[in-house]
Amino acid sequence: MHAIRALLAVFFVGGFSGAACAADVYASRLTAVAYDGAMRANVQGDGHVSATLNGSSLTVTGDFAGLPSAASSVKLYSGSGIGVPGDAIFDLQLSGQNQGSISGTAKLSSKQLAALKQGHVYVQLNSQKAPDGNLWGWLLPEHVFPGANVPEKGHGFLPQLDVPGNWTEKK
Amino acid sequence: MRHLGKYLTGAAVVAAGAWAATSLAQTAAAPFTAAQAEAGRAAYAANCAGCHQANLAGSGEQPALAGAPFMAAWGRRSTKEFYDDIRAEMPYGKAGSLDAAIYQNITAFVMSANGAKPGTTAFDGTQSVQISAIATGQVPATIVNARRGGGGDEGGGGAGRAPAMRLGQILVGNIKNYTPVTDAMLVHPDPKDWLIYRGNYQAWSHSALNQINANNVGQLQLKWSWAMNEGGENATGPTIHDGIMFLANTSNTVEAFDAKTGELLWQNRLGPLATRAYSALRSLAVYEDKVYINATDAKLYALDAKTGKTVWESDIAPPGKGFNETGGLIVAHGKAIVGLTLCRGQMPHCYISAYDARTGKQVWKFTTIAAPGTPGGDTWGNVPDDMRAGGETWIAGTYDPELNITYWGTAQSKPWMQASRRSGTASTLYANSTLALDADTGQLKWYFSHAPGETFDLDEVFERVLIDHGSQKTLMTIGKAGILWKLDRVTGKFLDARQTVFQNVYNGIDMKTGRLSFRPDVLTQKTKTWISACPSAAGGHDWPPTSYDQKNDLMIIPLDQSCNMMLGHDVAQHTGVVQPEGEEKVFFMPGTDGNMGRLAAYRTATMEPVWSFQQRSPFLTGVLSTDGNVSFVGDYDRVFRAVETTTGKTLWTVRLPTVVQGNPVSFSVDGKQYIAITTGLGGGSPFSKPSSMLGEVHHPDHGQAVYVFALPDKMN
Repeated sequence: MHAIRALLAVFFVGGFSGAACAADVYASRLTAVAYDGAMRANVQGDGHVSATLNGSSLTVTGDFAGLPSAASSVKLYSGSGIGVPGDAIFDLQLSGQNQGSISGTAKLSSKQLAALKQGHVYVQLNSQKAPDGNLWGWLLPEHVFPGANVPEKGHGFLPQLDVPGNWTEKK
Repeated sequence: MRHLGKYLTGAAVVAAGAWAATSLAQTAAAPFTAAQAEAGRAAYAANCAGCHQANLAGSGEQPALAGAPFMAAWGRRSTKEFYDDIRAEMPYGKAGSLDAAIYQNITAFVMSANGAKPGTTAFDGTQSVQISAIATGQVPATIVNARRGGGGDEGGGGAGRAPAMRLGQILVGNIKNYTPVTDAMLVHPDPKDWLIYRGNYQAWSHSALNQINANNVGQLQLKWSWAMNEGGENATGPTIHDGIMFLANTSNTVEAFDAKTGELLWQNRLGPLATRAYSALRSLAVYEDKVYINATDAKLYALDAKTGKTVWESDIAPPGKGFNETGGLIVAHGKAIVGLTLCRGQMPHCYISAYDARTGKQVWKFTTIAAPGTPGGDTWGNVPDDMRAGGETWIAGTYDPELNITYWGTAQSKPWMQASRRSGTASTLYANSTLALDADTGQLKWYFSHAPGETFDLDEVFERVLIDHGSQKTLMTIGKAGILWKLDRVTGKFLDARQTVFQNVYNGIDMKTGRLSFRPDVLTQKTKTWISACPSAAGGHDWPPTSYDQKNDLMIIPLDQSCNMMLGHDVAQHTGVVQPEGEEKVFFMPGTDGNMGRLAAYRTATMEPVWSFQQRSPFLTGVLSTDGNVSFVGDYDRVFRAVETTTGKTLWTVRLPTVVQGNPVSFSVDGKQYIAITTGLGGGSPFSKPSSMLGEVHHPDHGQAVYVFALPDKMN
């Protein structure tokens, strides 16, 4: 389900270099939301989403499987940073229960568009036993993982999109 | 830096009776029986008391499970949540290993220990009753007065605890032809030896041996192994001199072996027996005719290298106050220099101290927390002296013999979160700093505060690697935030920094001063509010240390990728008992595809990344590089691996019986090069995070050992 996806963005060799490199295709693996031991059993599962930006229209497709309870909703959210949860901004369509697919096209405002390009937008899938979040994943420029233990030149994918000064790179 | 657990605990505390107001409320009968609570008492003693104490008071970073601290953390949650939580996460290192009925009984016991009244209905794991509706937080006297356990002061089995065994010198050695280790030998170690925990004073973890190289490493064979003690945490690395391996085993056991054959030469079980928490011994040291070990109960021992007999012992910290020391030590200029850990809720503050290597007499100490009225004391704001905590030294320092300066990193200040700590973004000296101390006097030469106001347990405490670029003497270090720092080690001046993993805590750095700026919502944080942090408290980079290959100018860094949400509690400004100061939820780091492990190489002159690779499991050993262009590293998924130093390409792997954890070393005997590595459990956040997050990765909950590899006697 999570085979390496096609490379559609242009970065690498030397690593992704920051906000200046805007991609049209975004992707994310969906993994468990932040959880503690008491929540763990209800936030299992896995998934993947891909999102294509055309102007201000963001078309999202994806799939998921292995939920402990039936999926109840899936939405786009926007926070104040990559990995920082925020508020729902758009309802996506859902099909299936413990496994299924995700789809939808959102018209993004200029603020939401800026958030997307900074990596602040994420997909969150909610379920009956985890109504406040079962799986999530931040939409980041689509990238290829060469495989476990396969070295890349430079630091590989390092999505530091929203840090001024570009201090992942040479001064 | 250690296992954060889900409920962060801290130094601060509540005066006795702080819960009294609410404890007077009438409570309903609880959904468990008296028989369950009684059975749970025994199960708790066997599986939980090693960390949380027999009186449920908690210890160090292991939270209290009774009284006001417990009710503050759990009062608003349910019995089912508590049960689900301990079943998913406990016992530490053996999550989910007990029968459901045992978890139910432990839940019943903990509730009863908090004043809940047993009823007639047995708890079966499904009853969801708010804990504050059944428990008062008033702890029965029989539990309050239960003998303090954990911290290494008793053993006798149970999850994570060492099985009962006889302490003392089990085998007396009679080593002939032992050459005393001189200062000159420590400054210029013979490549056949491994005299210092990181290979040399500069912490390079590099061997100049090259018999094992990129072309033949695939032929490595196991030559010998030794089963180490079960129980406790194992994250050690051997020391080798004159063909003798000295090993810091768990339960404060020190052993000497013939490094070629694995024959045991002497064994001294100093004790106390290990518990799961805070019982790792990262290293020992050799100097002249003695072996030095800092025991987990904060005692320093000097043993005769030839016999293993104790020559002298000295208290590093006042006994019986909960101090601990696991970070190892160095001997420099005739002094054994050692740190201190678990400094919270008790005085004195943490310090670094030095002892005459021949007599054990304390020579100096440097306190890592600045008191009011002393230099740096104003950097804590109005926080009272006895509420200033942290500044532990989890890793032994390094040493520049030319400058006669020893360099140490310090841990974050506590409570972790700014909002709980009430110190704002002040630098809370000397927490999260690099300290440069005169090795003879302990005088502070300079300090560099890496992360003033840090708030997510992102320590900058790990190895200080000393690297020269021409005439420029630098110090490089990397902490949990994953920022690789370069400082001038003569002056402490900031030179450079580079991010090595994704992080979202800091949104910038002043490249002239090295001053970090926080993400805005970090600065406006409030208690009782969840806030995100990447990396999590497992790092970035944690205790598994880097290696430096000078010929290729490559620093090879084990990195860890996970995130967390943290919630800070209001922490009462009183001292006394351990109190939960926050809570934590974990999640996978964005952009990693679920890969927690990353190994990366950086050219230190330019700070440029040269290569990196990722994998599902995090690396739980330090890196050993060699002149054979081969580097070794081990991981949570039991894989011990050799990679080509210059490219990162995997050349050889072997699957060991359990988690590969510790510090690989290399040495030679009779012209043959060997590689040694340990397996081990425990290991703090870098171990506990994958235990919780990588459900498909399995390992036995035993199997601590040392393994020694070499090429075949007859090569293909």
